[in-house]
Amino acid sequence: MSGKPSAPVAEAEGKPRRPEEGPARRGLTRKHREWLAALCFVAPDALGLLIFLAIPMVLALALGFFDISGFGTYSFAGLTNYKRMFTDPLFLNSVRVTVTYVVLFVAGVFVVSLALALLVKQKLPFVGVLRSMFFLPHVVSLVVIGLVWQFMLIDGRGVVNQLLDVVGLGNFSWLGNPNLALFTVVAVSIWFFMGYYMVIFLAALQDIPQEYYDAARVDGAGTWATFWNVTWPLMKPTSFFVLLVSTITGVAGLQAFDLIYIMTEGGPANKTMLGIFYIYQQAFMFNDYGYAAAMASFLVLVLSAATAAMFVLTRGGRFEVD
Amino acid sequence: MEEKHTTLTKENGGISRRQFLARGVAFTFAAAVTGPGLTVLSSCGGGGSASGALKFWQFYALGGDVPAQSKWFEDTVDAWNKKNETQVKLEYIPVTEYLSGSKLQTAFSSGEGPDIFIISPGDFLRYYNGGVLEDLSQYMEGDARNDFYENVMTTRTVDGKFYALPMEVEPMAMYYSVKAFEDAGLSEADVPTTWEGLLDVAGKLKKGDSFGLLFDTNPGYYQNFTWYPFMWQGGSDVVAESGKESTFDSKGAIQALQFWQDAIESGVAPRKALGTGANDIVPNLAQGYCAIQNCGIWAVADMRANAPDFEYGLFKLPLPPGGRYTTDLGGWAFVANSEGKNPEEAGKFCAWALGSMSEDSIQRGVDWCTKAKSDIAPRKSVQEKAEQEGAFDSGPMEFFREEAFPGGRGEPRYTPEVYKAVSDAIQACQLDGADPGQQAEQTVQTINAFLKGYSGASLV
Repeated sequence: MSGKPSAPVAEAEGKPRRPEEGPARRGLTRKHREWLAALCFVAPDALGLLIFLAIPMVLALALGFFDISGFGTYSFAGLTNYKRMFTDPLFLNSVRVTVTYVVLFVAGVFVVSLALALLVKQKLPFVGVLRSMFFLPHVVSLVVIGLVWQFMLIDGRGVVNQLLDVVGLGNFSWLGNPNLALFTVVAVSIWFFMGYYMVIFLAALQDIPQEYYDAARVDGAGTWATFWNVTWPLMKPTSFFVLLVSTITGVAGLQAFDLIYIMTEGGPANKTMLGIFYIYQQAFMFNDYGYAAAMASFLVLVLSAATAAMFVLTRGGRFEVD
Repeated sequence: MEEKHTTLTKENGGISRRQFLARGVAFTFAAAVTGPGLTVLSSCGGGGSASGALKFWQFYALGGDVPAQSKWFEDTVDAWNKKNETQVKLEYIPVTEYLSGSKLQTAFSSGEGPDIFIISPGDFLRYYNGGVLEDLSQYMEGDARNDFYENVMTTRTVDGKFYALPMEVEPMAMYYSVKAFEDAGLSEADVPTTWEGLLDVAGKLKKGDSFGLLFDTNPGYYQNFTWYPFMWQGGSDVVAESGKESTFDSKGAIQALQFWQDAIESGVAPRKALGTGANDIVPNLAQGYCAIQNCGIWAVADMRANAPDFEYGLFKLPLPPGGRYTTDLGGWAFVANSEGKNPEEAGKFCAWALGSMSEDSIQRGVDWCTKAKSDIAPRKSVQEKAEQEGAFDSGPMEFFREEAFPGGRGEPRYTPEVYKAVSDAIQACQLDGADPGQQAEQTVQTINAFLKGYSGASLV
């Protein structure tokens, strides 16, 4: 290069260049250069998703058609693993447990976190401390949470039972009674997630213009009418997001595995055997990778269908609001 | 002023935005290509002492609950490394991860399993049928092979070959709190010998938030291990001697299921244990959570290390009407990975450490069973030497040697499918009030369906 600026191509051709087109370069047009730049920015993430998510997903799907020992031997099994799934009482039990867990967890976490968001939106003394307190469980390791709750809920001498005993409510085996264990795990899961979803709801609440509330007040609306006619409709997209994410979390989130692993190991009597834990057990404790992969594929399929249904029913989360 | 202009352009020696992007992409590409390549190359080298060392996975943490245990592992490896060119490197895996986590299994699945590791009989067939266990008897002298107790080796032997060398023998018994007995007005004379008597005494010992009796309640291999003797006492078994069919729906199994259910439903036993479970004696018996606990010989060392002042007694597993005494003999064993980087050296290490007639191998067994832990030895010579040193002369160790161990039976080596079927029956009856007879029938069907297509080593 001589250091002498080159003449723009358009000018050289006797055609005036528009200033927004910038200096002309050899080869690619500006549009193509922008595509290339965009591609360079997107490529690392896309590559990561491809290598660590898409390819493993496809491989996992393929594993479902094989009988795999876990020690390097594979043999094609066709649909055997899928057929076995629907005749395996333990898998069907895990589906029942998962559905119960998800319904209770999603409903519970939705109501509790929305209520907390409404509470901490108020001008209360020490509201910052309150918000932090509600969010704190979410930053603690699930393993620690599982261990601490297990200790607090132990038969007879756990702090929860001690407190209940004081008010004469008796003594329960929260994690050892088959009729209570799943509800206990749901409650701990909600407690863990309530702060996280509270923050999301709070952000949505703070996004609603104050003028709407002023107008409602002028119209004579009470607290409930204001919530139902102003807050709730404007919260629907956020509610949809929370419903969607908490459903996915309920089925396949970390807490669905970690808390069960630490607190109950799927017991008592398989009453907390969530699908994801049963899949783990089959793969890593029983070496049945093919069967585990088939069940995992089924789980993904059901989850995708449920997500799609939610999108359709809510018009992509927009509901009637456009 | 123009000379001081510092914009990064090609003209002044810097780089343009386009060059920056191009170089960035080139660097990323180079890193992506050479990074894994270098990793693969480094792992294939095997020349360096660290990368060439045999990996030995176990769960005794440095400075853990009983420091002497991890020190024994270190001393063993150090002694080998001093004498041999092929080095062994200890790698610690947390116990919960080792027992029910995915680390060991995923390591084998990816062809990166440890060269040497420890397993219990409950896991033996999983690894044997997976074809990753090295025949260790080929590295042992004939005298050493005959030195192991036969009932201890049954579940580690296939076609007369040893695939695992046990470090220890761990019989189960009942521990009781002397203070709890005294507080309830009971004495040594009230120590129960029957199932009925046990429930009766446990009822008298239950007080406030303290339970009378503790059996394991967590579903898992350990719970099955602790339950089997109660089934055996009534003459039943999970699988017939032929290994081709299940006999689980027999009287002994059904009454054992009923017995554990009665312990829970009568309220004398809790549905959850403290600590890591009913294998953990200090948080349960020593802390007063229960007055009688079903636990193994290892608890003697735990008490010695963590609750030395706690006064406890021991009695044999009580019997059902017409029952015959037996107990379960658990224990961990060294195994070598036949698919590892040097199976021969790994096998030689196991044989040298635990299965040689040399003085130091015998002493190593004595040190583990009587100093680091509190166990019965799996070999006659080790047991004799330990007895000569007075390790079994008195107290709990004498009880285990003289009363609990004789008549004991090695922990079964069922496949995961059989284990799970039995586990489900125990859980359903113990904690969910299921009918033992019905559960036993269901278990037989599940096991028989599995055995029809089973082609691995014999289950019995």
